[in-house]
Amino acid sequence: MNTLMTSDHRRPTISDHTSPVVVARDLKTHFQMSAGIFAALTGGAVPTAKALDGVDLRIREKEIVGLVGESGCGKSTLGMSLVRMYQPTHGQILYRGEDVTKVEGRRLKDYRRHAQIIFQDPYSSLNPRLTIGQIIEEPLIIHGLGNAAERRQKVVRALDLVRIPAKDNIDRYPSDLSGGQRQRIAIARALVLEPKFIVADEPVSMLDVSIQASVLELLDELSRELGLAVLYISHDIATVGYICDHVAVMYLGRIVEEGKAEDILSEPLHPYTQRLMAAIPRMDLADAPQRHELKGDVPSPMAIPPGCRFASRCPYATELCHAVEPDLAACLGTRKVRCHIHDDRAAAEYPHLRRPKQDQVTEMADLGVLAEVAGSRHG
Amino acid sequence: MASLALDRSSPRRMSEANRHELAELNHRLEAKPAARLKVENLSVTYATERGPFYAVDDVSFEVRPATNLGLVGESGCGKSTVVKALMGLQPDTAWVGGQALLDGDNILGLGERALQQIRWSRISLITQSAMNSLDPVYCIGDQIIEAIRAHERVSKSVAWARAEDMFALVGLPASRLFEFPHQFSGGMRQRTVIAMALALNAGMLLADEPTTALDPIMQSQIMSRIRGIHEQMRRSMILVTHDIAVVAETCEDTVVMYAGQVAEKGPTNDVLKLPLHPYTMGLQNAFPRLPVRGEPRQPLISIPGVVPNLHTPPKGCRFAGRCPFATDKCHSEPPPLVQVGHQSATCHYVDRAAEFRVLAAQPNTWRKTKAEA
Repeated sequence: MNTLMTSDHRRPTISDHTSPVVVARDLKTHFQMSAGIFAALTGGAVPTAKALDGVDLRIREKEIVGLVGESGCGKSTLGMSLVRMYQPTHGQILYRGEDVTKVEGRRLKDYRRHAQIIFQDPYSSLNPRLTIGQIIEEPLIIHGLGNAAERRQKVVRALDLVRIPAKDNIDRYPSDLSGGQRQRIAIARALVLEPKFIVADEPVSMLDVSIQASVLELLDELSRELGLAVLYISHDIATVGYICDHVAVMYLGRIVEEGKAEDILSEPLHPYTQRLMAAIPRMDLADAPQRHELKGDVPSPMAIPPGCRFASRCPYATELCHAVEPDLAACLGTRKVRCHIHDDRAAAEYPHLRRPKQDQVTEMADLGVLAEVAGSRHG
Repeated sequence: MASLALDRSSPRRMSEANRHELAELNHRLEAKPAARLKVENLSVTYATERGPFYAVDDVSFEVRPATNLGLVGESGCGKSTVVKALMGLQPDTAWVGGQALLDGDNILGLGERALQQIRWSRISLITQSAMNSLDPVYCIGDQIIEAIRAHERVSKSVAWARAEDMFALVGLPASRLFEFPHQFSGGMRQRTVIAMALALNAGMLLADEPTTALDPIMQSQIMSRIRGIHEQMRRSMILVTHDIAVVAETCEDTVVMYAGQVAEKGPTNDVLKLPLHPYTMGLQNAFPRLPVRGEPRQPLISIPGVVPNLHTPPKGCRFAGRCPFATDKCHSEPPPLVQVGHQSATCHYVDRAAEFRVLAAQPNTWRKTKAEA
């Protein structure tokens, strides 16, 4: 039970005809910051944080889509927007073909029954004053489902699904459980409403490595057994490879690369994905790739630069990158990449601007102190 | 090193006397040798309402001069407690036994005055949460020069110049020394804490999960920097982490801790390639790896069960409750530390390690223990 599938029995491929459970179309979630009284009186522009800025995504039944990127790139905003915890400001969310972007009241509550979210920290997401049984029962009460006996039955079934013996645990408190067990309770709470779509926002990053595998495997099995569509959000790109069919990499509110998990993990094309992959420490020193230090931090979502969003930190950036934003272009079959290195169109349109090339570090890149250290050691 | 640092900082207007003083300070600090730390039979017991809690029990290891030692294990294994005890930061209710010889001097159980003298100058700490280790009401530069001037009799401007050098070393612009902690991002704060720990070129650095709260790119940049600094300055370091790959890339030696005791120790290459202790094998199999095209992927296997409650540590081997190979002997007799080559492990069946390694890589092996438990 505590293993993930190996390469010989991997997930059955999901056919393209399977109808999608959740679709996001050009989804944007912008947050208005408080402008202050002076700006309000003078009619100045209200600063806006473009946390999520035009994302297309599709998740089908039994499919786990991985969403990776560093902190602040908008991963969680996308997850929270999809379950309508944030109100998207633009674009559409379709749940089984029905537009749920702006539904309110009764219909919003209905949608939330079908779309659940699991949070990162099982230590703060469970009410310490309620028993396990009460925690899992609460959503049923909120949605007015069943009488006490039926609810009890559903709670027991949910605990069964997450492999926690109901008999011994239903009357215990979260403080009696370990981190891994708590995360299972959080999953049970999401499952009790029998949702069709689950957002798992960093479900294992607070857990010890020794038990991460069992929670990941649980998600994988549940998605197949119950036909769930799962959005698995994580900054740990290595765990994504074990359970996801499809991976999307986000940077500053947009998807910069997406495709089949094994393609992206074994051969990342976008310089940002490449850097993200290189960042993973390797067990074998011989496998450790060369790591370019990215200069600076992620630009502020309140002042998004023109051109490619990654250009300010990309070691290969040229004039073209700073001026023109690349499209998310299809490349090598099912893969999509947002980079001028892999898309000719912008280069053809702006022939006077120099185009970036694969592995060619430009003088605009700053390799940081480490390069100097290396230089001084050799020199 | 000083020359490298100077290249990046803005030209400074310094008097001839100050420049001379700075050169002297740098020279004095660079002359400090890397430290040797010998921890012998370290035990830390906390007095709690529910009785004594044996957080660390009879731990011994040695950090050779100018090497990195990785301290790994799950949460609750006593890694951070070891570091706290070495820095004299344990709470008053804790009882500390054994000794820790820093270049021959025992640093356990020192008084406040003696501790002040060795902290920062001989042993310094890079903390886990950089957020909490900086004072929000002082500018960063003032906090660094305070540490420098507590140990070296130099003027403020010279100490500031040293702080600028340290900032350059960790890749931060000198102008930001005037800023306050809240103006820094998480990665910058972590680098500030590293700069502070290096300011007096202490012979021994303790890094307690220096990258845990950071995202992967910042994590890799901080670790690259720590490695670069280590290569240049040749300090000794203990790196506490739960990430065995970070240890594989950074440390010459590794100590694997389990439930307050040493499960296995030795050169990193041996310990992580050919582990002797079933716990180390379990950690390895649970660690997510990147796929290699064309090669079958190792399954990810979790270790069933949880770390035992250290109020009442198990009688025999502490890992026996989760170990797929445990026998009656394991449950009743604490295993001895057995040496094999440079490596050693606390296991009754070290001689069967090769056989265990094969079995441990199979998911079914670990499944069985769960059913029994």
